[in-house]
Amino acid sequence: MEDTKKGTGEPAALKIGQIGLEVNVPAGTRIVSQGEAPEFFYVIRTGRLRVFRETEDRIRTELTELGPDNYFGEVALVTGQPRTASVEAAVDSKLVKVSKEEFDRLLDQNPQLARHIIQQLAGWLVAGDRRLETEVVHQVKLRQISWFDYVLMIGISIVLALVFNIYNDNRIPLIQGWGLPSVPEITVGKAVQLYRENKAVFVDARKSAFYDQEHIKGSMNLPEILFDIMYPMFHFTLEQTPGVKDKTLVVYGGTISRRMDVDLARRFISKGLKNVVVMNDYWAWPQVFPIVKRPPKAAPTMPLGWAGILEWIPVSIFLLILIPPIRRSPYLSVFGRVFLGAIFIAFALSKIMRPAVFALNVVDYGMMPAWGVNLWALILPWAELVCGLFLILGIRTRAAATLIGAMNIIFIAGLVHAILNHMPINCGCVGEVGEPVNWVKVMKNVAMVLMCVQIFLYDRFFVLDRGGFILRDRKI
Amino acid sequence: MKKEFLKTAAFLGVIIVGLVLAGCGESRTPFAGTYKSVETYAGKGNIALDLKEDGRGTWSLGGKTVEFTWLINEGKVFIYTKTGGILVVTPSQGGKMLSADMTGEWHPGCPPNSCVTFMRVTEGG
Repeated sequence: MEDTKKGTGEPAALKIGQIGLEVNVPAGTRIVSQGEAPEFFYVIRTGRLRVFRETEDRIRTELTELGPDNYFGEVALVTGQPRTASVEAAVDSKLVKVSKEEFDRLLDQNPQLARHIIQQLAGWLVAGDRRLETEVVHQVKLRQISWFDYVLMIGISIVLALVFNIYNDNRIPLIQGWGLPSVPEITVGKAVQLYRENKAVFVDARKSAFYDQEHIKGSMNLPEILFDIMYPMFHFTLEQTPGVKDKTLVVYGGTISRRMDVDLARRFISKGLKNVVVMNDYWAWPQVFPIVKRPPKAAPTMPLGWAGILEWIPVSIFLLILIPPIRRSPYLSVFGRVFLGAIFIAFALSKIMRPAVFALNVVDYGMMPAWGVNLWALILPWAELVCGLFLILGIRTRAAATLIGAMNIIFIAGLVHAILNHMPINCGCVGEVGEPVNWVKVMKNVAMVLMCVQIFLYDRFFVLDRGGFILRDRKI
Repeated sequence: MKKEFLKTAAFLGVIIVGLVLAGCGESRTPFAGTYKSVETYAGKGNIALDLKEDGRGTWSLGGKTVEFTWLINEGKVFIYTKTGGILVVTPSQGGKMLSADMTGEWHPGCPPNSCVTFMRVTEGG
């Protein structure tokens, strides 16, 4: 705004009252435009004018307002540079328009005005330096990201998760089976021998969808997750089957989480059943036993309602990123923040109240070791909630976007693993049951990762912590 | 200081509102009551299903009772066991009949080999 100074001298005293052309300017009229060649110097008689700059993306920054006896346009005339700001009338105004020739003659004849303009210029340069420094500090702090951001968000999530679990009626142990007596194991070779000699009953502990897809020929299915409800029927069937009384009960169907098989064996023992064992190599049975196998069948899809529709929105990012001005738009970042924040809060709230349900979803993916299942099921929903809130409230948005992006990458890895292994499981993302695992879901998650990248790179509007709450000093 | 306080207050407010809203589901009243399985199981008689209005419930067979919690979602009864299992129960005939999908998953139509059908005995709970 080098050509828009708030003049403090009176035009009459500076002898500019006798020159120039008086013009009336209706409200909304643009008097000078940023970038155009300077032709006139203006003095305001009456009214109010707005000075602003505008970027190529049409982001407008209001710089100042000018009133009666203020003047503008002198610097561009002195330097011969294009206008660096635009001026428009906020209300109906009356101006004196002075041509370059008249202005030059005026300066030659009026040293008082010349000195005044020099003082204005010098003052503006100093103010400009300060403004530049403030803006640089502001931008650096805004772009700054530190480990503290991540520690803060993860720390809050862990504390909230652990405290909430204490008071939750549906609380789960931090580590499943921790401190409980171990379950007897047998080797796969020994199990095969028992199978061949018909000295064992094999019980598949997995969900029925897994059992239907592939199981040891002749085995029974008792899904561990429905043990309480289904055990009476299972026990009755066992009692009615001749010759099983003295047989060994071999429980199988574990994953790396060792959740189903070990837990079911432990429950059998608690019910007083004898000779209960699990196979030590939980992954080996499909290779060494006669198998009943059916073609993979995807889990049925239950309509998700509004959440299902909402999930399609991020897919639009694939189109938006093709348009550079939109790709770089901070308004897209704000939209992305609100959208991702809302959807992750919705994700979180569907899991927080019943961590046991989500823990079983984690087990289904077969990627998490036993010690991590419950911790993950407890902490992840709170991390989703905290990051979602941080995104919406504009606190630590770059770090929040990084964490949400990281979560999405983990989800994508899980989904791809499940798809490639034809697992008959639910996604466990928004709904608790009936939510499919497919490539469309993967695409939606990839879109959300792209949204996180866009936020990380271009977010700068509507953030609450601009310049504040920075623990680490940084030299500018 | 004031700004920090407002931020913290907004943060906690959103969490509380969210959790309250998450706790509010569809009304349980239309499906609260006691039910009896149409068939007998495990040689021990009928399964008794009691759905209380406060969201608690019991599943009883042969003197053994299992407690659970339940809610209504999209017109279906979701039964949550302590261990994290979910039974999706589809009401029919205005709630007089319930079909429990015993696979622990949801299927369009209760799978014939894994379905327990209940008939309402009394309303309310």
